[in-house]
Formats: sequence, C-alpha cells, structure tokens
Amino acid sequence: MTSSTTAATGQSVIRTDLRDKLTGQAKYTADLKLPGMLHALVLRSPHPHANILSVDTQAAARLPGVYAIVTPFDVPPGKVAPDLAILDRRVRFVGDEVAAVAAADLDIARQALSLLEVEYQALPFVLEPEDALKPGAIVIHPEGNPGGNLVGGKPLSLERGSVAEGFAQAELVLEEEYFIPVHSATALEPRAALAAWEGDSLTVWKSSRGVHVDRATLAEALGIPPAKVRVVGPYLGAGFGNKDESRLGALAAVLAQRAGRPVRLEYSRQDEFVAGRTRHAARIRIKAGFKRDGSITAIHTIATLNKGAYLASGPGVARRLGQGSLYLYHCANSKYEAYLVYTNRPTGGSYRALGAPQGHFALETLMDRAAEALGIDPLEFRLKNQVRAEGQPGRRTTPPGQNIDSQPLEGGVPFSSNGLDQCLRLGAQAFGWGEPAEQPADPAKKRGRGMSMMIYRGGPGFASAAEVRIDRSGVISLVCGLMDVGEGATTVLAQMAAQGLGLDSRDIRLIFADSATTPNAPITAGSTATFSTGTAVVQAATSLRGQLLELAADGLEAPVDNLELSGGAVYVKGDPARRMSLAEVVRRAASDVLSASASVNPGSPNHIINSFGAHFAQVEVDTGTGQVRVLRYVAAHDSGRILNPRLALNQVEGGISQMLGFALSEELVTDGPTGITLNGSYLEHKCPTILDYPDIQIIFADVVDPIGPLGAKALGEVPAVGVAPAIANAIYDAIGVRFTRLPITPQRVLEALSLQRSAVSPPTTRSNRGGGLIADG
Amino acid sequence: MQPFQYIEPKSLDEAVALLAAQPGETQLIAGGSDLLSEIKEGVAAPRRLVSLAGIPGLRGIRETGGGLELGAMTTIAELAQHPAIRACYTALAQAAEELATPQIRNVGTLGGNLAQRPRCWYYRHPQTVCLKKGGDRCYALAGVSKYLCVTGGDRCYIVHPSDTAVALSVFDARVEIAGPRGTRTMPIGEFFIGPGQDLLRENGLEPGELVTRVLLPGQDEIPLGPPLQRGVGGISVPVRSLYLKARERETGDFALVSVAVAVALEGDTIRQARVCLGGVAPVPYRARPVEEYLRGQQVADVDAAHAGSLALPNPRPMADNGYKVPLTANLVTRAVGEVMSGG
Repeated sequence: MTSSTTAATGQSVIRTDLRDKLTGQAKYTADLKLPGMLHALVLRSPHPHANILSVDTQAAARLPGVYAIVTPFDVPPGKVAPDLAILDRRVRFVGDEVAAVAAADLDIARQALSLLEVEYQALPFVLEPEDALKPGAIVIHPEGNPGGNLVGGKPLSLERGSVAEGFAQAELVLEEEYFIPVHSATALEPRAALAAWEGDSLTVWKSSRGVHVDRATLAEALGIPPAKVRVVGPYLGAGFGNKDESRLGALAAVLAQRAGRPVRLEYSRQDEFVAGRTRHAARIRIKAGFKRDGSITAIHTIATLNKGAYLASGPGVARRLGQGSLYLYHCANSKYEAYLVYTNRPTGGSYRALGAPQGHFALETLMDRAAEALGIDPLEFRLKNQVRAEGQPGRRTTPPGQNIDSQPLEGGVPFSSNGLDQCLRLGAQAFGWGEPAEQPADPAKKRGRGMSMMIYRGGPGFASAAEVRIDRSGVISLVCGLMDVGEGATTVLAQMAAQGLGLDSRDIRLIFADSATTPNAPITAGSTATFSTGTAVVQAATSLRGQLLELAADGLEAPVDNLELSGGAVYVKGDPARRMSLAEVVRRAASDVLSASASVNPGSPNHIINSFGAHFAQVEVDTGTGQVRVLRYVAAHDSGRILNPRLALNQVEGGISQMLGFALSEELVTDGPTGITLNGSYLEHKCPTILDYPDIQIIFADVVDPIGPLGAKALGEVPAVGVAPAIANAIYDAIGVRFTRLPITPQRVLEALSLQRSAVSPPTTRSNRGGGLIADG
Repeated sequence: MQPFQYIEPKSLDEAVALLAAQPGETQLIAGGSDLLSEIKEGVAAPRRLVSLAGIPGLRGIRETGGGLELGAMTTIAELAQHPAIRACYTALAQAAEELATPQIRNVGTLGGNLAQRPRCWYYRHPQTVCLKKGGDRCYALAGVSKYLCVTGGDRCYIVHPSDTAVALSVFDARVEIAGPRGTRTMPIGEFFIGPGQDLLRENGLEPGELVTRVLLPGQDEIPLGPPLQRGVGGISVPVRSLYLKARERETGDFALVSVAVAVALEGDTIRQARVCLGGVAPVPYRARPVEEYLRGQQVADVDAAHAGSLALPNPRPMADNGYKVPLTANLVTRAVGEVMSGG
C-alpha cells in the first residue's frame, strides 16, 4: 500500500446505498415483483405446545385464487436447521408455523388460512428454564434433544486456573443474580422472501445475512443440489444478525414449486416480533473474589439462557455471554458455565453482540459494587484490573501454528493490540469523570454518573474470499459474496480495494450478495466483515496491483519500483507524462480480464484479536415518576484503525441508541398462563425514540492493529455491549439502588424507591454497602 | 382482516341512519388511527365502516359566548395549536400535545380520541376472548397487570387511554351526541362508563349514536368561578390549568398515570378546583378529595404533598401495578404545586 497517493481509507466516504435509501429508490425484498407472482401467508399456532394431528386443506384448496398449500403432512423432509423442519407436526410456541398458503392476493390467502382446519393435541408447556429443567418436564424436542430440555444434554463449562483456589485466596467475595428478559431486535423491515423456479432451478430473493449460507440451507432443506439454487440479497432493512434463521425461504420455495408461479412471503409486523428471532433472556449468577488491595482472585459466572423453541444461534450466544467474565479483567481463576434451555417461548437467536450485553450487564454491575465495597473509584478499579496487552495469566493451550480463537479461554497469549486503557482514559477525560454530577434545582430529580468497559471479538471470523478484476475498458469490479446488512460493509470494502489500486472507491463496481455471481462467503455476523472479508479484499487488490504494475512496467519501459498507480493510470514517478491508462495496461494482457482472487483464513496464530470500549453515562432519575433520562453519553472505542469515520460513528450511535431500550424500556412479554406474546408491536415493545436519546460523544482510541487489514479491527456489535451497565451504574449513583433486572422502567424504579423508603435495610440499596450480600471470604 | 364496505355519507342524518341500520356490524371511522389497527390486528371485524370525513361542520373550533365548541372531527394537532385553547384551556392543549406522535396527532380526531378502545394487552390480542370481547374471563387477573387500573375495576380492569378526556373533565365539558332520536348533550363525567355498568363499552353512546361536538363552557356558565383575566379572541381565561403525563418513553406512549388540574382563583383564594386522573381507572377519574381539599384554600397555604396523598382514597392495585399508587400521589403533588406557583 505504500505508494498509493489516494488515502481511500480513513475518509468518510459516503455510503454506497445512501442515495437509493434517501430517495426511496432502494428495493427491499418486499418491493420486488415478478410476473404472475403470488402472495403467501403462514398459519400460526395458537398453542404454546401441541401436536398437529391433521390439517384439512379441502375447503381452502377449493377457494378460487388459491394456488398452493403446504402442511406438515406433505412437506419435503429436509431441515432448515438441525432442529427446524420446513414444517413440523409439532408446534412449540404461540406463533410457530403450522401451514402456508399461496394465493393470487393477500385477501384470498387470508381467507384460505381461515378455511384450514387443524386438529391439535395440546401438550403441557414450559416458559421458564427453571421449569423446563425439572424432572418430568415435557420434552420439547424429544427426537433431536431427547431426555430433557437442556440443549446438548449438558452445560457448557469453561475454566481457567481454579476458581476454588481463587476464592480461597479472596478477602472479599461478592455474589449476585441478574435477570435479563427477552428483547426484540425490531428491524424496520419484516422478513421477506420471493421464490421463483425455472425448471428445476430455484432463485430466492430474501432478507438475508448471507446468500451463500442461505443457498446451502435451502438446497439441504429442499433436497436439491446447491448448484440449482441461487440466493440474492436485496437491500436489507436492518438485520442485527438475526435475519433470518427461520423457515421463511424454504416455505416460499415449496409454495412456488407447487404453484408453478413465483411466490412472495412477507412477515407481518407482529410475525416479525413473535416469529422472528430475539435476544435470549438470561438469568446470570456471578460471584467474584477480591483482595483488599482491589485485585481480583476469582470470577465464577453461571448463566441460564432461555432458548425458546428452536436452537438458532443459541450455542454461540451462550458462549459469547461468558467472554466478559472470562477475559475483561485480569484474573488467573475464571469459570463460566452456561445452561441453554429449550422452552415454549418465541425463539432466541443472534441479535447484535449475542450474549455479550447480558453478560456485561451482570459483570460490570457487580464490579461497580466491588469497587465501592473496596473503597476504590470505579474508574481506578477498572484501570487497575483491566486485561492488559499481554493477555491473561496462564498457559497457552492452542497448538502452535493454529489460529488463536478470538474468544479464548486460555491464558498466556497476548493481544495483537489492546486499547482498553486508552478507552478508559480518553473516555473519562472527555466525560469529566471524577467531577460529581451537577444536581438540578428540583429535589425530586437526581443525577448520577456511571461507567462500564467491554471486550469483544475483534473481527477474525470464517474463511473469506474476494475477487478484484479489471476489464479492457478499465472498469474495476470488486466481487464478493458478502451481504451488506445495512451497516455499510460494501462501502468500506470498496474503500479497502480502492486504496490498493489508487482509485476513488466510488469508481469501483460492486458485485455483492448474489450466490450465482460471487465467490463463497460467510454470513455477515460476529462483526467480522471489515476484518475477515477485508483481509481478502486487501490481498486481492494488492495482487491485482502487482499484475497491473508488471504489465505497465513493460509498456512504460520502467522498473516496477519506479511506477505509481493512481487516478486510473500508471505513470513513472517524477515523470507523470510517461503514463498509461488502466484500460491501456489491461489491453497489454493476454486475456480480456485481469483478475486477482484471495481466500483467507483470517486470524493470528500468535495473538488474540479483540476490540474494546469504555462507556460513561450521566442520567437523571425522576424519583416522582420513576422515569430515567440519559442526559449525556461518552463512548470510547478501540476498533483499530477507523476506515470510514462517519460509518463508524453511525455504528456506535446506533449501538447506544438500540441498547438504551434494552436498558430502560424494551421487553418482549410472554403471558404465563397462555404463552401468547402480549406486546409484539412498536407501540408496546417500547423502543426509545429520538426524543429519548442523549447527547452522545464518541471517541476512537488511536490504535492501529498490526494484524487487521489496514490496521482495522471489529466495531459493529461492540458498542451494544456495555450500554446497560453504564446506565445502571449511573442510576445507582443517582438514587442508591442497584438494579439487577432489566429493563429499568418507571415501575421498577418506583417499586425500588418504595422499598428503599420503607425497609430498614434493603439488600440492594446504598445504605447497606459493606454488609448484607457482601461477605468476607 | 375481513373485507368491509366503506361509506362516506354527506350528512349527519345519513350517518346516523347508516349507523342505526346495522349497529352490530357497523363502525364509525374518523381518523382511523385506533380502529384501523384494531382491524389489522384482528381485534375488530366490522362489515361496514361509516366515515365522518364527508360531513360538513364536524371539524373545527368555534368560539361561542365565552366558550368553545370543538367539532368531533377536529384533529388533535388542531386542538394543541389553537390559541384560545392554549391560553384558556391550557391543560387540554398540553394533553393534546403530549398525545401519541405527530403523525397520529395530524390524523387522530377529538371524537376518535374520546371513543378509542382500551389498550389492555389481553383485549388487544387477537387470540383472547376476554370479558370485554364478550368472553367469560379476565386474562389479566392471572397475567400481566402493569398498565391496568388501581381503582374502579369490576371484573375488567382497563384504564381509559384518552389524554384529552382527562383534560376536558377539569373544564366541565359537555359532550354533544347525535342519534336516531335527535341530539342530546351530557356532562363528560357521565359520558364515560366503567365495566360495572357495561363490560363491552367504555362510554354511554347508544346504538346509532355518535359524538358531534364537545362544548367547553365559558365564563358565564363555568361553575369554576369568575375569570382571572381576559383572554384572547374575546374569550375569558377562567382558570389556571395544567396536564402532566408520566410514561415510559418521551413520545408515542400512553400514560402510566396522567393528571389534569384546574383551579379558579379569586385573589389568592381557590374558588373552585377540578382534578382528574388518567391511567388509574376504567374512566377518567375525578380526584374529588383533592378538589375538596383545595376549594377555599389560600394559594400559599396549599400543601401539595397532602393534596397528592388524597388523590386515590382506596386504591386496589393488582399484582403488577402497585407502583401507580405512589406515582399518582407524586404526579398530583407536582401538578398542584405547579398550578399554585403559577403554572
């Protein structure tokens, strides 16, 4: 990259999709129409748990305009996920798919659904993991997960060092239980798919986080060769990781095949809330041991996650929940256990940062308590105990030469870069940490300040590939199977390609998210696009650059080292008149198109690659109404070198805004007696609006990662990780109440304040610090 | 959503006739912001919608001998912006301004807001057949009661969701109703009915009847007392008033609890007072002990916290809504305090 004169990265290049989206030209899946297209609807279960004994389709099939019906009794036997048939003879939550209909219009489809006669055999149901784990509880997946509802039959258990020894050394032990309820991702675009067959070849346009993975899934489910399936990802109206992990595409494909016409299936808003994928509810018990000098001797976390009806990304969520307690604080003895439990609730899936926000809420709230109990300022406590560049104490267990997991358990491996200390210091400085919150004149309103820090995977993900090519007219294309899920990956990857080729990124033609025209690619997940796919893009661009310079060197009769590639031309350094356009260079090649591809297995055999952050919040609690307002927010992040500052700011603002609801107002509520979801709407699942947002200041630590492509590390999910604890700690500072359950609604604030006033010494209030749950070890 | 017929009559008589012809299957539509979501979510399934949009004279705010006539089709945004309402019936303007979101305020109407259906999660779920939908049980008793009433429940525990109803109550507004037997008016306090009177309805509209106007009394009629000062447009300003609303987010949210307070002052003496609560009962709930406490007091002697403590004499909270009791007391305290200090 050394000789490029165009600093294509590091600039706030306008996102490639901005014009289309702002002008309403952007086509999302549900905007697409094909000649003869039919409209599909899904019949959903009214029962939380039942066997489907029969589905009588005769009346519906006779309705004029009905073209196809699919039921569990005539569906292809393949699966869309290990525990998810295209349709199943058992339904496992209220809203689970029972049957689907394709008709000439939605009114007919709706009428057809009402004519389907389903005979159910209702089964006992369980909504809480505690009940689902009891002996004798109804088993929700008797075939795939026999014997009980604990996924895999045993918990995840990871230990570094020995927590028993760690607690034996402790002079102070704190323990607390936290609860985080289900939280919906509330993407503006409900899931949609459009399926069309030509002979035995299927094309599906759909809400997707990865067209190649969707292709493989559909081929498997439908029992057809992957070569016969093409998946295209139109613009996505937000994914947050959870689109779509569902039956959507397979149902559309089966209906289209039976109808002999294209079929579009779009979820309703309520479907999206109930039958989409949510953040897993979690009960987290965390216990930590400390020395009087403030150091940490042991951390033991036990999480029980409510899986809901189907697996989706559950194991990944469970694993990520524990990474904060395993790795954020320097600690020789750390143990994490996770119980992932099937229940008859809507399905938990991937949602921005998976389990990390749940885990960090527990960890960072407990550590705030610890700092107080030890008489240390929360910032000082974290500066003292943060994991440092050398990583955790202990011994490396990954075999030599093998890439280190970006969620390691082992000690003895350093980070490639670690800007956590910078995040803490820069954030604290910008926030004015240490100065007390200025109190308003109204004595009912109390202000307080709080903070948190966070750790997250730094970007190495799945094997990734990219191709950069140039044709005889000099047009350069970046070809990549990745799906831009709305975060701006195409923009940044184009910048990365442009940098190597001395171009303006806007001059690069982008060919993305179509399984027929792009090389295999992973899902856009785990904050890996910039790092993993970016590594491939940089390699491919560098390789193409080399080819171009070789050809030009011949033509310009100058050594490669003497050439400059910039502005669509190659010229001789110091003599720019001696130049060739890229088109002229390509014409010297033997073939019509010059191309360079790269496939990478991103990561490092010697380093942990992680991203970091520190958040600071100032809140005002209205003790009269229980309302919490976040007045000011400072977020400092180490995501390596920032390739597009504007997009990076958007990511951080988005993460904070989204998790403000997680902290204060959002909860998807399932009714205990009936299993129905009570608030599956924007009105009742209360996402904050722009009026609820604080003033947000964002800082990026000046870190250049030595391994990340162009110095970059992951950012996408990281800002979501530490928001809730920063706010909860600020609320404690304001009113002296430690909340252990989210969201912190006016109801909960008022209940806690009533307890605080009436109780002699309630265990969760400031008046009790140093006693109660705090026991000397 | 089942197919329905949409009719836009050109006169009130025509609308009343259409409404009376098949009352069970016909529903009025004004702005539609509540009804359409009920239809889309499968809670309401009318065969026929009668729109009020084409009937002249139902929309607008008219000044009458010191008072105001508010047409039922007047939008919430128009209420919030009207200078006479802002100056003289401040609590109503504030209630309108705090209601829903700008888009809904632009289409939602006063009549629709008064006649909107409850927000109870169980009533709104397409799968439940609760008492309010003609079923045989209240699901909230064993379920989630966070948003439900703390007083006045009787088998059904809804709260009335209207912000404007709470504010109108403190001005002794009257509701004008047209029906097959002509026009009648009733005090707003009698317009709303609780589940004890009728489980299926939230107001006293009989089959074929509809709200045409809301009448705000002026200085001569208002029982609150003489005006404090002259207002705009020849309308007197009879009272000081205020509306406060506690909620879970700053916009697009119904009240957890709301309060409207109006007082008429003679010098520093409170001649008359009205206090009405939203979010606590199945109807807008008059906090009469607070009114009695305030009446005759000197402004400087009012103990706002005491007033707040009187707001809910015998609360009967459910499993999840006990927080509304202190919330009500706190909100009334704040509202009374602000009104006394000139708000």
